[in-house]
Amino acid sequence: MRFMMLMIPQGYESAPAKLDLDPERVAAMMRYNQALKDAGVLITLEGLHPPATGARVRFDSGLPVVTDGPFTEAKEVIGGFWMIDVASRAEAIAWAKKCPASANEMIEIRQVQEMGDFSEEVQQAAATFEHPQGGWGKALR
Amino acid sequence: MKFMVIVKANKDTEAGVMPSTELLAAMGKFNEEMVKAGVMQAGEGLHPTNKGARVKYAGGQSTVSHGPFSPTGDLVCGFWLIETKSLDEAIGWMKRAPFDGGSEIEIRQVFAAEDFGEALTPELREREERLRAQAAKK
Repeated sequence: MRFMMLMIPQGYESAPAKLDLDPERVAAMMRYNQALKDAGVLITLEGLHPPATGARVRFDSGLPVVTDGPFTEAKEVIGGFWMIDVASRAEAIAWAKKCPASANEMIEIRQVQEMGDFSEEVQQAAATFEHPQGGWGKALR
Repeated sequence: MKFMVIVKANKDTEAGVMPSTELLAAMGKFNEEMVKAGVMQAGEGLHPTNKGARVKYAGGQSTVSHGPFSPTGDLVCGFWLIETKSLDEAIGWMKRAPFDGGSEIEIRQVFAAEDFGEALTPELREREERLRAQAAKK
């Protein structure tokens, strides 16, 4: 089963565009990433620039409407993510608990949809689009 | 520049309502266009948060809570990873996404090694590159 671990840092919704990072914390996170990799569970990971440099596109009026960040109404934003492949949800939670995160951070664990999760009709509708791992999108790795 | 396009959850996605066949076909076509243009690197949908969990950290302790989570508008139900020359180009692609009313996406730039400055020492950088290469081989 594939899971996404979403890093949600408190206050990141109003973080300045330019970030100051603590080298020690970066090193601790690298050791954690290495442990995920050594255990053979890591698929990919990325960090995201603060929302101050981002944009949102809404479709509720039927036409796309663009707003530039920061997004004043947001209470939580994503700071980055890991994609992992583990045998169960409990195993994904166990990995998240090992993360050297600080007190203002939180990790959300969400299962990734696979084609096998859906009805045959849905699978047929999406069949024109081939995915190496049976999901919605096409990973070009 | 690499961007993550975050698809925001709404009442329907949180309730596990599946997209219609028409929307699935339109989305497949849109994805195919992005793949052909060399823009799309990955894309996935996520199960609703009632099947998810959260882990919070404080004083060396971690606490697990189970979904569903709120507020709904801050939650994620899927994502794309795309590579474009600019934020404008990323926005241009996403304005063409075949969403109907009630959908919202957020576009965020992905950190590259050079964004970290001196915090990412040459040693750490080399380790990171090795790790990514190994993970990509999986």
